[in-house]
Amino acid sequence: MSLTRRDVLIAGSAGFAGVALFSPPSARANDEALDLVEQLIGRKATMSDRLHLIMPADFPTGYTVPMSLYIDSPMTEADHVRQMRVFAPRNPLIEVASFHFVPQRSLPRVSTRIRLAKPQHVVAVAEMNDGVLLMTTTWVRVATDGCA
Amino acid sequence: MTTPTPRVIVPSAAAKGEIFQVKTIISHEMETGLRHDDQGNVIPRKIINKFVCRYNETVVFSVDLHEAISANPFFEFSLRATESGRLDFVWEEDGGAVYMLSHQFTVG
Repeated sequence: MSLTRRDVLIAGSAGFAGVALFSPPSARANDEALDLVEQLIGRKATMSDRLHLIMPADFPTGYTVPMSLYIDSPMTEADHVRQMRVFAPRNPLIEVASFHFVPQRSLPRVSTRIRLAKPQHVVAVAEMNDGVLLMTTTWVRVATDGCA
Repeated sequence: MTTPTPRVIVPSAAAKGEIFQVKTIISHEMETGLRHDDQGNVIPRKIINKFVCRYNETVVFSVDLHEAISANPFFEFSLRATESGRLDFVWEEDGGAVYMLSHQFTVG
């Protein structure tokens, strides 16, 4: 079965069933990612749809994969995100970057380019000012190893 | 390796309270420390490990970079225009070298 862009859009709008068409079963991946984050940071994170990690589902080279990250946050003194961290669990070195934001001065969004060694769920974790950890993952398939 | 050259695209003026976009890039190999030369020797890690943006001496955005950031690290982020002054952009490299750019900014 070949998927056209239109198919993907229609599948996407159909919700979870559509997502399952072109990404591996994500429930297990989410559990793995949650465990990983707990190991790395020492606290439990919760999956959140406030946090958005935008990456191509398929990319020809692992050397420069575009990545955009943002979170819905008012960025006030009372309610803001302190930092957002990105992990690539299937890379030889899994830490990618930590982005630090300042309430009322910077918007909680950033774009960059990262290296991926193989197809994997990329993980983003947001640490809020009250210490809560929010998390999301995005499946990315790369055709070549960007870490060799 | 050529000398890392930083570049920044940022407006020179904005209205008070306005959100403006900043694009930064520095030419840099971001040597991961995972590669070997033809003699089998590990090529030592040499990456940009920190990026900081200051707005009139106040840090308003920063990044801790690890090996998985691509060569020629690029960041696009958004700041709020609060007052006229200077934006400083600083890249710190393994071994202690520092690369900087400054930009005058007017809030009208």
